[in-house]
This record gives sequence, C-alpha cells and structure tokens, in this order.
Amino acid sequence: MADSFHRVLSAAEVPPGTKKAVQVGDRCILICNSNQRLYAISNICTHAEKPLERGRMSATWIACPTHGARFDLATGKALNPPAVKPIATYEVRVVDEWIEVLIKEVAT
Amino acid sequence: MAGETIEAGKNTTPPKGETRCPGAPTTQEIIARDKVPAPAWVRSESYEFMGDQDIPTDRYIDPAYARKEFDTLWKKTWQFACREEHIPEVGDYYVYDIGPYSFIITRVAQNEIRAHYNACLHRGTKLRASGTVGNAEEFRCSFHGWCWNVDGSHKSTTCHWDFPHVDPKKFTLPQARVERLAGFVFINMDQAAPSLAEYLGPEALAHIQAWKLEDRYVYLHVSKRLPANWKLVIEAFMEAYHVIETHPQVAVSNGDANSQYDVYGDHVDRFISTLGVLSPHLYGKHTEQDILNQFTLGDSGALGSVQRTLSGGATAREVMAQMFRGMFEKATNTDLSKVSDSELLDCFSYTVFPNTFLFPGISLPMVYRFRPDRFDHRKCLYEVLFLRPVPLDGQRPAPAEPIELRDDQSFTEAAGMDQGFGVILDQDTDNLRLQQEGIEASAKRGLTLGNYQEIRVRHFERTVDQYLGQKS
Repeated sequence: MADSFHRVLSAAEVPPGTKKAVQVGDRCILICNSNQRLYAISNICTHAEKPLERGRMSATWIACPTHGARFDLATGKALNPPAVKPIATYEVRVVDEWIEVLIKEVAT
Repeated sequence: MAGETIEAGKNTTPPKGETRCPGAPTTQEIIARDKVPAPAWVRSESYEFMGDQDIPTDRYIDPAYARKEFDTLWKKTWQFACREEHIPEVGDYYVYDIGPYSFIITRVAQNEIRAHYNACLHRGTKLRASGTVGNAEEFRCSFHGWCWNVDGSHKSTTCHWDFPHVDPKKFTLPQARVERLAGFVFINMDQAAPSLAEYLGPEALAHIQAWKLEDRYVYLHVSKRLPANWKLVIEAFMEAYHVIETHPQVAVSNGDANSQYDVYGDHVDRFISTLGVLSPHLYGKHTEQDILNQFTLGDSGALGSVQRTLSGGATAREVMAQMFRGMFEKATNTDLSKVSDSELLDCFSYTVFPNTFLFPGISLPMVYRFRPDRFDHRKCLYEVLFLRPVPLDGQRPAPAEPIELRDDQSFTEAAGMDQGFGVILDQDTDNLRLQQEGIEASAKRGLTLGNYQEIRVRHFERTVDQYLGQKS
C-alpha cells in the first residue's frame, strides 16, 4: 500500500492551544495546535506507554502527565527522563478545512 | 578624576566609606535633573561602612566549604524557584533544584502553591526529573507506582496489603515553605526561618512591591554554566567598578565610578548605575553624541532600529528618555507615561540573598539567578531572564522556553539576545575563569575591597559568614 494522507478531523475541532487524539488504523495519533502550527505525534509515551493527550503542551513540547517525560512536538525527541526513545511524528496538512495526516506504510 | 587614585600623604582623611568619586555628580544629582521625576525608592540612599578587612579566599576554592554551604546557607535561605507564570494552571509544576535538593513547585489550587520534596517516600526515586515542567493530576512514581495527589497527600500504595506499617496520613510529601512576591515563587527549606517579608526587611520589600513585576512576563530566558565559584560569579555583577576595564564599550554611556551603592538589612543590597551619561573616567574625551551612539540595551529587540541624533543642545540622557518612552510603549503595547526617566534608562541591580538579582528598570529588565554546580564548586549555573510588561490588552504571553548554552558558546549565540549585551556577558565570563584560577594560584589569601564601590561584595560575604556560622 502506498503512503497516503488520511483525513482525521475538521480544523475547527482543534483550536489554538488544544489537542485531540484520533485513531488511524492501529495508530493512536495526537493532533496538537500549538504556537500557530499543527503537529501530529504518537499519543503513546515511549516510557510506560501511557497516553499523552492529557499532558501539558507548550509552544515546543508535550509532557506526559503520568511520569513527566517530555517530547519535542516537531521531532518527537525525548527531552528528559524517564523517556529515552522518541515518539513517532507525522506530516500533517489542512485541505478544505480538514486536518490530514500522512501515514507511511511499512513494507512487509 | 575617577581614574586618579593615589591619595596618600593627606592630613585630613574623611571617615572610611564616605569618599565618593571626585569631580563627578552623584547618582542622585544626575537623577534629580531628569524631566520625569523618579519615585521615592530611587531617590534614597542607604550605604553603611562595614570594615575594610580582606575577604578570606578559602570560601571560593575549598570543596569542603561548598559542602558546608549546602548544609547551612542553602537550607535556610529564601530562594527564587520559579515565576508564577511557569505554573499557571492547577496541577502545573516546575522542578527546582539547588545542589542535591529538589522540589516540585506545584500549583495545588488556583491561589495556592506548594513545594514538595521531590522524592518518593517508598524507595526515594525522584517523582519528576530535574529541570522539567509539566502538569500532573497525580504524582506517580515511575518505579513501583506509589502515588500522591497534587497537594502532596498520599493517594495510593501499590500492593497496600504488603505495607500494613504505612499509614497514608503519615505519608504526605514533605514540603518546603512557599511565599509569593511580585510574580516570583520563593521557597525556604527552613521551617523556622523568618517570613519572606521579615527576611527582606520593610524598605527593600516596599521597593520590590513598587515595581509591580507581577505585571511582567519572561520573554527571553538564557542559561549557561560559568567557570567560577557561584559567589565569585555573583560578585562580578555587584559593582560598576569593573566597567571601565572590562566593558570599555559601555563606559562611554555609563556613570560607572559615580554609581550609587546601598544595603538593606542582611539580605538585600543594590546599585543604581546611571546610563546616558559619560563615565567620570572619560570626562573631556567624548561628546554627548558619542554617549547617545554607545548606549547598550538589554531589550533592544523592543526598539528595532533607533535614530540616534542629538539636536538643540539636548543631552543624550534627555533624548534617550524621551525616545525610549515612546518606542517601548509602542513595541510592548504598554503605558509608560508615568515611568520616570531614571526607571527607563538606568541600571538598577538588587540582590536578594543568596542568589537572585532583580533589575526593575525598563531598558535593562533582567532577573539573574546563580546556583552552584552541585558536583563542581568551581562552576556556577547562571540564568538571565528578561522581563517585559504584560501588554495592555491583558493577554499574558507564555514564558519563554529556556535556551541552554553550552560552556563553550558565546552569549551572543542565544536567539533573541541583544548582541551588545551578549558581548558584555562574555567579557564577564572571561574574567571569571581567570579570577577563579588566579585565586587558586595566589600567594595572597584574601580579596581586598573598595569601601564604597565594592560594599555589596562585603555585605554579601558578611551574610554568607552568618549562615556558615563564621565570625565576620
């Protein structure tokens, strides 16, 4: 299957400063509207696999509410313990007022 | 003249500490000539002679001394932990570390902030990593999952059946004391310490309250580890005496040798260093236009490009006050019509013992924080936060994310840092490395201080001695 953009939410559903989790296939993705930009990141913390969606979000990071690991919104990089591994990030765009996320299919 | 130093042989020696820079106006005389008059907290003096003995230098070079500071001074003093704006919502936290100690500064209710000791009461794991911020609905230990509510009360013990000896009521997270002032959150580990108001004393407290720093926000935050003991680093910022040699580019527009120095009780001191006037060291060597051209700003980003032209016999100081008032108002969307020329232009440097500097001015609007490196007494973590007035529309911008410079980077590399200001900090850094090494190399085991211009250094070290239990 080819890489493809998936329509996940209307843009109005994620106003500035908010975030919303969506399911795309087996992926749980968090759409974040921060600092006048949309980000699409994995909603699952790489430390203890807890959801990030209730975590505090700044202009550049999101903090896991369970144990406090933070991740860079743009790159997914883990910024502090207890996480070490990055979270996945996804290319995101708005088409006709819809937020679309690029899912890359892994060759099997 | 300020630079002429040898006074030996005179018969009529004034009492120690009473001599001021000869041939130059005092800070108060400069400010009294301004068009928009300064408030009372500017127009007062509070100098006190405190002796002229050398300061012993073991305190800067002995690791045992640093360990003793952690056991005494740092456990008993009020310290700036974070700004309120760092934790605006209930559950927001900011981890503040000093040496081995760590606290989760947490907003537990809209108008209540607590400082939890950052360690699980089970087997001691930090509940949040140092240097982090976030929001919690509970503090859950990442090791075995013991859990506390954000107010510090014990919430749950994993496999409680195995801990019949754990009474949840007795397992509340220990707390340091918290007080808030001017948008700053202060903590103190000493439950018997005086209140923050008593600690500051009535006069210094009134000054701080007058500034309304709660109505400002952090628009730039830069940190860097500096190559000297934390006390040497602090002392490098306590006087304008070094300006002519260390920062000659600034001296053209700075009343350095005629700056004013004041002390308030044991824990607060200040200087007022006028800007927009020529250094007494340089009298006769520069014009008013030179002064205008050389002015350095901490917040030049608020101004954009400045037309620096003098006309009609006006002084550089007059022109700058008028120009800056309008430009800062426009750039920051604030009303500065009642703010005095002095507050707009001058450098006001206040120390709140042990490690916080507050600069309530507009053109140099900083907060400094200095903390010893817990693993190396010859290193100091320095932070500078630039504050701007909250815009008139009431929308408080989020505080800036800290920019952490590496040891080998220039301050000018921090995005948003005024280049002139970054150069000044680099010049100070270079001196500090040489000073730390020089003190270690020296055959002389004491620092010799000026009676007036270096009174803040003596005042600071006198209070250090008090906390370390040493006679000063």
